[in-house]
Amino acid sequence: MEIPALLIQSGGSLLAIFALFLFARWLRLGGKPKLGTEEGVASAASEVIDGFDMSGFAVDDNGSAALARDADGRIILIKRHGNKFAGRLLDHRANGKAWRDDHPEGRRRPRITVNSGDALFGTVTLFTDEPETWASAIDAL
Amino acid sequence: MPDFSPTQYAVPFFVIAVLAEMIWSRFRNREAYEPMDTLVSLAFGLGSTIAGALFSGFAVYVFFTAYEYRLIDFGPEWWTLWWAWPLCFVLDDLKYYWVHRAGHRIRWMWAAHVNHHSSQHYNLSTALRQTWTGAFTFGLLFALPLVLLGFHPAMIAICGGFNLIYQFWIHTEAIDRMPGWFEAVMNTPSHHRVHHATNPRYLDRNYAGVFITWDKMFGTFEAERDDEKIRYGIIKQLGSFNLLWSVFHEWIGMIGDIWRAPWRHKLSYLLREPGWSHDGSRDTSDMIRARWLARNEAVASAISPVADRNSIESPEHSA
Repeated sequence: MEIPALLIQSGGSLLAIFALFLFARWLRLGGKPKLGTEEGVASAASEVIDGFDMSGFAVDDNGSAALARDADGRIILIKRHGNKFAGRLLDHRANGKAWRDDHPEGRRRPRITVNSGDALFGTVTLFTDEPETWASAIDAL
Repeated sequence: MPDFSPTQYAVPFFVIAVLAEMIWSRFRNREAYEPMDTLVSLAFGLGSTIAGALFSGFAVYVFFTAYEYRLIDFGPEWWTLWWAWPLCFVLDDLKYYWVHRAGHRIRWMWAAHVNHHSSQHYNLSTALRQTWTGAFTFGLLFALPLVLLGFHPAMIAICGGFNLIYQFWIHTEAIDRMPGWFEAVMNTPSHHRVHHATNPRYLDRNYAGVFITWDKMFGTFEAERDDEKIRYGIIKQLGSFNLLWSVFHEWIGMIGDIWRAPWRHKLSYLLREPGWSHDGSRDTSDMIRARWLARNEAVASAISPVADRNSIESPEHSA
């Protein structure tokens, strides 16, 4: 039986693709940037909405996500995506849920789970102070 | 008739070049690559090849039919006319400029082309992030004038293949600037970084394929600045490595908008620029740039000394 050339070519390409992917992992390319400072969150927020004038923010304990708001009450959800950050301006489709469960280490760790309302962008959880305030603000959008 | 596809021969070179850039990235700029992003980019490349093989039949039929109505006949051995090749290459690159420009300014075309811009990285693997759905746009119409002029569809396809190969190497941050004469005429990594940027200054600029002169000629050229860090991708970054979502998200968004829009606005969601909305609730690239310009002018006028703004107080009049 003769195998179509396109199939052979595609199979070979698929192998090459996974080889390159594994090579990139082996080289440890990428990394995990952290949002740690007000300046960092403001910069990430301004990449979502150019000129976004941040008036308040909350950042996850490990720097993988953040919430930023401006004086107009707009709220941006930012999450780490690969080794970059991506964000969404939240609207009425979004919702936030505040949690204050016990942490495995015994500490009470407040956190907020934000559903962006965008199925592919997904849900983001931030360990941060005052999650109730943010949850209320998001639910009021 | 020559049966030759330059891009097929170039694939091994693409793989070796990506490998080499990964090694460069390991030592110079580890953030230039992200394995999952690379995996998606390469899968885009493979899918594009398969989609091309499956869906290019209609375009081939249209081109060969149009060729029957050509204005100039280059003869049965058209491929032996040496001068026709460079001429076809230049005219095909001019065609590329306009089809590419349409790809950014008409949402129907953008739905297919956005794939190429959906990575937040800019490396050689990004070059392989090619469309799967180009056959479902009217992009082929841009090539019809060349066919009607008399260039054989195979000649146009071969020139287009070389054009695509040329564009591969410019998708890199590993090269800063080429020599001045080269930057002046040719598309380069520097010029094309601008094209992939989401910075307001750079939006919808540098559409060129091979010759940057088209952008200079048609007013869409913007030089890369050393004082402004480039952010790559699209205005609304995907935030997902889902391959199928990356391929079809703009089609899904556009069809949804057309479905929901009032009748008199439906066509606008197909043919107007990406970001356009009938209620003004979204931003186009022009709106983003205009806001950015206004903000910068306000800042500049706030910090400039009175003498710069007041002709009476300016140095020329105070002597």
